[in-house]
Amino acid sequence: MNDLINDLYQEIILDHGREPRNFGECEPHNKSADGHNPLCGDSLKLTFLLNDQNIIEDIKFTGEGCAISLASASLMTEKLKGKKIEVAEEIFKDFTNLVSGSDEDLKVLNEEDSLYALKGVGGFPMRVKCATMAWHAFNQALKD
Amino acid sequence: MDNSKTLNLNVRKDFPILSKKILEKKDLIYFDTAASAQKPNTVIDETNDFYKNHYSNVSRGVHTLSVESTFRYEDARKKVQKFLNARSENEIIFTKSATEGINLVAQSFYEKFMQKGDEVILSLIEHHSNLIPWFFLRDKYGVVLKFANIQSSGEIDIDHFNSLFTNKTKIVSLTHLSNVFGTELNEKAISICKDKNVPILLDGCQSAAHLKIDVQKLGCDFFVFSGHKTYGPAGIGVLYGTENLLSEMPPYQGGGGMIGDVSLEGASYAELPAKYEAGTPPLVEAHGLGIAIDYMNKIGLDNIIEHENEITKYAFNKLDEIDFIEIHGGDNKRNSIISFNIKNVHSHEVSSFLDVEGIAIRAGHHCCQPLMKHLGVNSTARLSFGVYNSLEEVDKFVIALHKCKEFFNK
Repeated sequence: MNDLINDLYQEIILDHGREPRNFGECEPHNKSADGHNPLCGDSLKLTFLLNDQNIIEDIKFTGEGCAISLASASLMTEKLKGKKIEVAEEIFKDFTNLVSGSDEDLKVLNEEDSLYALKGVGGFPMRVKCATMAWHAFNQALKD
Repeated sequence: MDNSKTLNLNVRKDFPILSKKILEKKDLIYFDTAASAQKPNTVIDETNDFYKNHYSNVSRGVHTLSVESTFRYEDARKKVQKFLNARSENEIIFTKSATEGINLVAQSFYEKFMQKGDEVILSLIEHHSNLIPWFFLRDKYGVVLKFANIQSSGEIDIDHFNSLFTNKTKIVSLTHLSNVFGTELNEKAISICKDKNVPILLDGCQSAAHLKIDVQKLGCDFFVFSGHKTYGPAGIGVLYGTENLLSEMPPYQGGGGMIGDVSLEGASYAELPAKYEAGTPPLVEAHGLGIAIDYMNKIGLDNIIEHENEITKYAFNKLDEIDFIEIHGGDNKRNSIISFNIKNVHSHEVSSFLDVEGIAIRAGHHCCQPLMKHLGVNSTARLSFGVYNSLEEVDKFVIALHKCKEFFNK
């Protein structure tokens, strides 16, 4: 099997794509945003609860999409749950660099992170949007 | 499966990009002609030659290069006229795209013939380019849009279509060949429009290079297609319209080249076709389209159609045998396009997997979101064929599909 495909579809991606974690709507929540990829029609809704110490207490998503977009959203919720917002923002920046094949050094993510499994997306430039859809929704929710 | 190989072997070499290796080792199998066709050497060379040896603006200067450019531009119009069997060159308007052609008709036709509350009939299978220009009329002027249903075969439900007409119906706009199903429009739809004396626009983006087009025989009032889907350059489109309607409708855009006489108080407009061609046109692209038409004529449209029908039928039967494949639409009147899904695998995964095998297919909603909603899918994978494809490529594709299914369901 081709290396590029194996890099793109690591076991953890296929697993989270088939059975996304934290799938549903956060109740109660005080932040939400929709992610949408108009070029392919994939979409999701992200909801989370930010407590008074700026910690993400709970975070969930619903939506439909390809394995990459679902796995990315699923892994994102796992990673961000319990994180302070400042840390989450750093992770967002790192993740965007990781999947877009940017040379910039990662500050908080490393090879041990499950999110690192999405690095293979860099070999498929047209799929970067699939991997970042949930993250852009998260970023949008913070701004709203 | 041997019959159509000769034609394939003869033309593949005409397309230099087809010798490209994907990821440095895989032979390219290009199954995305419905998105855009590849270009033969003649189109590439002739457009180069235009810039190198003949280029200037058209219809303006009197010097040698201006004459050479104008000759090529107008010669392309003649070729398009013959290609569509239009009555006159005045009925051939060059645009930048088929999309621009539909926008032109929507705007100018409305201005001359319609008012608030008037109705336009479209269908559920239309491409966004044959929806949004009409949405503009609905949003800006209160025009009412009606949408014909489709049958499971992918064809328009003719009885439902017929029932949508009222005395306020002013124009109908339908796809001639569905970019999702590959189904050809039932001719009855056109004859119904004729009976009711309502003009009809045909979106010929997918049909122009895959069916024999005769606008007089078809009886349509408008026909649009794009250069890039007919083996020509991107940036050039064609609008055919009957001389009657084009004469009565007002110009779409104002600018140089479309005027009769201008003073500070006002202007008169040029005769057809210049009236609708404001600004410097995509002249090299128009020439390239003319060369692409020459190319198709040289192979023979009948040969092209026979070849593509054979591949389409072959691929349809192969896919139909596979239990994990769901094909959208029926096998009736299907031409050069097949949309499908692998059960439980998103079309993106299918497309990325095939990509590393050297196979280019389209995945997504195909600019037909209302149709995707109707089908109850988020996206489909689409195969589409051109003159350069072969049955062996279909065989390789089917093997890759099985590998793909195995990979994602392991």
